Amino acid sequence: MKRLLLSILICPVSFVLAQAPGSIEPAPAQSQPAAAPAQNSSQPAGGGSQSSFLGKDVPVLDPGSEIVTWDGRNWNINNNRMFEARFEKYLSAPESAAGSDLEYQKIILAIMDKMAPNRVTPASTDEAFQLLPKASEYEVDANLCDAIANQVYSSWLARRNKDRLASANKSLEDERKRLEWNAKMTAQSSPLEPGRSGGSNDAANAEAQKQAQLRRDMEMQPILTRLAEINGLLKANQLKSEVAELQVKIEFQALLVQLFLQRRFQHAVIGTRFYRSIFADGDSQLRVGDDARNLFSKTTGLPPTLGTIDSMANEIMRDVKEGVSAFKYLLEKKELESATKRLAETFLIGEYLPSVRTLSRDDKREALAFAQSTNKLISAIEVKDYALAETIVKELAESAKDFDSSKPMAAIETAKTVSAMHIAKARNAAVSGDRETLETELRSATEIWPRNPALATVSSQIFSQADVQGRALIDFDQLLGQKNYRQIFDDRMRFIAATAMHPEKQEQLREVLDRMASVEAAIIRSQEIEKRGDYAGAWESAERAFKENPDDNKLNQLRSDLTTKSADFVRALREAQSLESKNQAGSSLAWYLKAQKEYPPSEFARDGIQRLTKVILPDAS
Amino acid sequence: MQMARRSSKSGAQIWLIFAVILIVAAFLGAIFIFPRDSNPYRTVPALEVSSYLDNANSLRGNVYRVEGEVVNSLAWSPASGRLIAVGVSEGKDILPVLVTNEFNQLNIQKGQKFIFLLEIDENGILKTKNLTKS
Repeated sequence: MKRLLLSILICPVSFVLAQAPGSIEPAPAQSQPAAAPAQNSSQPAGGGSQSSFLGKDVPVLDPGSEIVTWDGRNWNINNNRMFEARFEKYLSAPESAAGSDLEYQKIILAIMDKMAPNRVTPASTDEAFQLLPKASEYEVDANLCDAIANQVYSSWLARRNKDRLASANKSLEDERKRLEWNAKMTAQSSPLEPGRSGGSNDAANAEAQKQAQLRRDMEMQPILTRLAEINGLLKANQLKSEVAELQVKIEFQALLVQLFLQRRFQHAVIGTRFYRSIFADGDSQLRVGDDARNLFSKTTGLPPTLGTIDSMANEIMRDVKEGVSAFKYLLEKKELESATKRLAETFLIGEYLPSVRTLSRDDKREALAFAQSTNKLISAIEVKDYALAETIVKELAESAKDFDSSKPMAAIETAKTVSAMHIAKARNAAVSGDRETLETELRSATEIWPRNPALATVSSQIFSQADVQGRALIDFDQLLGQKNYRQIFDDRMRFIAATAMHPEKQEQLREVLDRMASVEAAIIRSQEIEKRGDYAGAWESAERAFKENPDDNKLNQLRSDLTTKSADFVRALREAQSLESKNQAGSSLAWYLKAQKEYPPSEFARDGIQRLTKVILPDAS
Repeated sequence: MQMARRSSKSGAQIWLIFAVILIVAAFLGAIFIFPRDSNPYRTVPALEVSSYLDNANSLRGNVYRVEGEVVNSLAWSPASGRLIAVGVSEGKDILPVLVTNEFNQLNIQKGQKFIFLLEIDENGILKTKNLTKS
């Protein structure tokens, strides 16, 4: 409950300083110290419907989620840029100078001790008052002790003025009494004589009484007038006294609330003790506006009183000491996440308390390193740099035993998985030539994980693949036009991949590969025959394939080699074929017969002989 | 006497040897000058095989003598005759010869040697005008 209130109260100091005045009941301008409230002239005094405490809505903290809602905005107390900056500054700063801070704390503690409820005396109050300017000399005090001293002095002056008014009232009271006596005496010394009855004497008596009455009234008039004046002065002095005291009380209360909101809890305690010693009338109720009253009553369940401020300030100081102690213990156990959170909470509450300010820099550095890493992690996730985020998570898991990596890793893994799915879809779209889907999926993958290393690789692969595919198709068409089936066959894997999505080209490629398969088979067959020393037979095999594939270089080369190895046979066949083409059946047949003599198994020779035999003897059986 | 008888006897022997030598020389000269008359077409020019192989059309209408051995029978037509392969030039070349049907009664087998009287017809085919075993 206290932490809740504190979390609400201890908003950044700048906000407090700028907005706090609106919460306090109207306080007349006076020579207030630096921390004195500044009236916002643009808003009605006292905070009407147009003005509320701390500007607009009262901040609300959800302890479950550590989310503060204020002015229509939400933020996590552990993830707020302003707080992060302030916290990191604190963690980076050296501990307060041991000497000066110790002396300052001694003075503060001495003041608190002298003003302790069970020890306070007029003499100790004076001594404590004299220590206030000394404490104010230290930078860490920020002249707040001066502010308290000024307020105490103003209160004393007000009290002294009240005494003077009381003395004046006593004189006036005496004067009033004297005037009342005089009036009484005057009335007794001028009695009205009773008239005689009968005749003209009745009229004379009435006239005489009238004159006596007039004479007495004339004597009483100055006395009564003065008496009325005295009564008026008395009432005026009473009112003046009450108003002056109330005014001073309100000013003092405003200062106390301000010190509390500024998290200057030691000063708040000192202030409440001075207040009680000055205004010992038992009136400890805080005269604050509705918002401030609600702030206290709804969070503590108590009405806003000096006691509330005093007890809460003391409780907070104790809580801060515990927080620092817990931080040191967790740090010792290498539980950096918890340690840093506890320190952040403690710092948020007790930024100006000695236990926080004197925390060693080395201890803070460990928390700083963790805080910086977590801030980097948050930034990395915010900018969707999941590779960096994963690296940081791993580092944090190694350095902090209690670091819960499940949430960030879940976010990272989810993003990675979704991005990978989009990339896979983009790949499929690229393969199927669906450019629209490709662009959409790549865009989605980029939005989810802009710095995904696979994205650049895949993109370049996809685009280069598309480029290669297009180039391969062009090459295929060119080679097909040139009847360079050998080149197509040699690059068949490339063309198979390139024509995968083009059925008409796939069919063309299939025909080429079938043709080349037969050529390759013929080449292999020729080479096998050649190995047996049957050059003419090898040549025939190559020649047969060559007739169907005259443009195949490899086959042509083999055929040329075999031609030289079976020159006589080949020459005979060539001559035979040449003469046959010239319709010289006799000569041609002679050459075929010669070729057959050279290589009896020759199919070319046999076929030629059969052909020409048919020519010579068409009716031969 | 004995001396005279001995000299007349050796003289007769010399004459006898001379006569024998003369007879042998005459026989050999006759053989040389008058070869055996087994080739009946000896007056017909022999076919220049290389010319025929180069361009048979240029020899069309000519008649040549070819002597060779039957290598193979390529085809047979009762109406047109037989087409055989004849090895010539000691088997170096093989010529196709069409043995026309007028020689159908003649047995022609592989390995037989013949002397052909051949005419080169309009298609450059060697057609037999006559033939005889050699």
